[in-house]
Amino acid sequence: MILCDRLTKVYNGIPAVDDLCLEIPAGEVFGLLGPNGAGKSTTILMLVGLIRPTSGACSIGGIEVAAHPIEVKRKIGYMPEDVGFYADRTAAENLDYAARFYGLAEVERKRRVGDLLALVGLDGVGTTVGGYSKGMRQRLGLARALVNDPEVVILDEPTANLDPRGVLDYRRIVRDLAGRGTTVLVSSHILSEVSKVCTSVGILARGRLVASGDREVLSRAAMQDRVTIDVETGNPMPRFASPEILSAEFSQDACSARIVAESDISTLIAKTLYTEGILLRRLAVEKPDMEDILLSYYTEGTA
Amino acid sequence: MTRTALRIIAGKEFSDHLRSRRFHLLFAILAVVAAVGMITGAVQYTKDLSDYNAVQMIAEGEDDPTLAGNLAGLMRPSILSAYSQMGMLMAGIGVVLGIAMGFDLVTREKESKSLKSLLAYPVFRDEVINGKALGGVGAIALAMGAVLVVSVAVMALFGIVPDLDEFVRILVFGTASFLLVFTFFALALLMSTVSKDSGNALLYSLIVMIVLSSFVPIFAYTPVYSAVFGDPPAQPGTTTYSYQQGSSAYMVTTTKVGVRASGDAIDPEALAEYERASREYTNQKRTITDIVTLVSPTGNYQTILGAASQPAGDNTPGLGSLLGALAYNLIALLAMPAAFFGLAWVRFMREDIR
Repeated sequence: MILCDRLTKVYNGIPAVDDLCLEIPAGEVFGLLGPNGAGKSTTILMLVGLIRPTSGACSIGGIEVAAHPIEVKRKIGYMPEDVGFYADRTAAENLDYAARFYGLAEVERKRRVGDLLALVGLDGVGTTVGGYSKGMRQRLGLARALVNDPEVVILDEPTANLDPRGVLDYRRIVRDLAGRGTTVLVSSHILSEVSKVCTSVGILARGRLVASGDREVLSRAAMQDRVTIDVETGNPMPRFASPEILSAEFSQDACSARIVAESDISTLIAKTLYTEGILLRRLAVEKPDMEDILLSYYTEGTA
Repeated sequence: MTRTALRIIAGKEFSDHLRSRRFHLLFAILAVVAAVGMITGAVQYTKDLSDYNAVQMIAEGEDDPTLAGNLAGLMRPSILSAYSQMGMLMAGIGVVLGIAMGFDLVTREKESKSLKSLLAYPVFRDEVINGKALGGVGAIALAMGAVLVVSVAVMALFGIVPDLDEFVRILVFGTASFLLVFTFFALALLMSTVSKDSGNALLYSLIVMIVLSSFVPIFAYTPVYSAVFGDPPAQPGTTTYSYQQGSSAYMVTTTKVGVRASGDAIDPEALAEYERASREYTNQKRTITDIVTLVSPTGNYQTILGAASQPAGDNTPGLGSLLGALAYNLIALLAMPAAFFGLAWVRFMREDIR
């Protein structure tokens, strides 16, 4: 659904996005992660047709953005990081204004605006947007991104200003979208948010995609095919015989061990201990959390 | 779809202007100025007409044919003189209205972060700037139309009905007023596209306005002109004594007295040379003055206003001649907003959205 083919954007001789190749299948909830200045927002701006690539191309639904921006804009819903509205108008008026650009009839606009305001919990708020909190604006931004019932939703830092209730609503909305087959691209630096709603992630560093795939693939890659297993037993444990084991460190009483293996051999260890009649007190496989994964890729990408 | 987006943006901008408090305030001032100016003008016109009629009656009974001819040849007062007075006031307020309507059109979108969202809708970039300009033009046209209606209504209240020639001249006045406001609206729109925030846009608009309205016309003032391009040639056989009567920052009032140096006859060749140099000097000064006037929107407006409000009489040019004489001023008054808008358009199309 979303395709970036050697996408490059250079500002004053410095590449903000550098030869980016990315493919997001339809129905995927894709998280675009990266530190500040990694090129996430620039990539998104090229995807929504606000800036033209220096070279390369991107397309949405098979339509090249730079060549046919209007057609692409009709298919997508976009919420920028710094979401802005007309402060002297109400939420309904702001949404209605946005809906008019998609050729919706007045009756349809009214219905859609009412539904969306209810969806983001802003129904019944009659004040102008100038009096809204940042969180309320963020909710309204999400509603506006959905005003045309888009095939692709692009959200730039969608939970930056949301309160816990807002975050829960946001997750519910994204899951609903995914359930309906909508492709969602979420750019965020809040890693826990990405890991909670995204089915796959891509990591950008210095304008380059340094890794992409589902969480498991990234975890394995980040661990460079190494898994660390911590074992604690009630009585001394034997030495484990497996070609997968790269190294093993045992305590003096042999009641605790730290084993590094090429893959997760925790089941084999548990079975061995059970067979030997050794009481297992703790068996923990150390998997990196998203933060660790991300940091390892950032380090790799900026090295 | 393209036209739809343009219409949506223009409609919103038009509505924004009409809802804006600053538009309400300036429009109210404009309407009051128009009404008060027209009431004053109508009262003066009624008095002048009464005096004129009295003079005509005297002329009819005058035995001295020369005096009778002079009195009868006096121009009939015209209601257009009221428009002339009103126009002078409008030149100031209209300029402020134009700037007030345009200086934050783009910067406000940048400041409220709504520009990125607006451009992410299925619209072309040029539709955004064109829509903003169209909305502003609509609001200006509405304001100027309303002022014109107010002025005609005041005249009607005083029982004054303009004839066709006067009515067309009133329309010329209205068009020129509209173009003047539009010029400064386009200037402010340009400044709004090049500035990062509304404060700077307003400041730049005011600076350019001052340059065009006050600084550039300085070069047409005689003392400044003389200082820059030299004094007019001296008449042969005379000595010129100049003395300063008064001065201000930009104006120096100087009286020149020519005294014959001797009783000798003036050399005809020197006199011919003087006449040639004098003609050349006058032509050059006229050219410079015309250029200065053309560059200054308020200068053009005042030229058009002066010509359009000239009372109709036997010796005054017809409408066709009037428009012909004002062609350069009208073209300049059209070209300047077009140039400002063109620059704003190009700048906006190249705007870096991040």
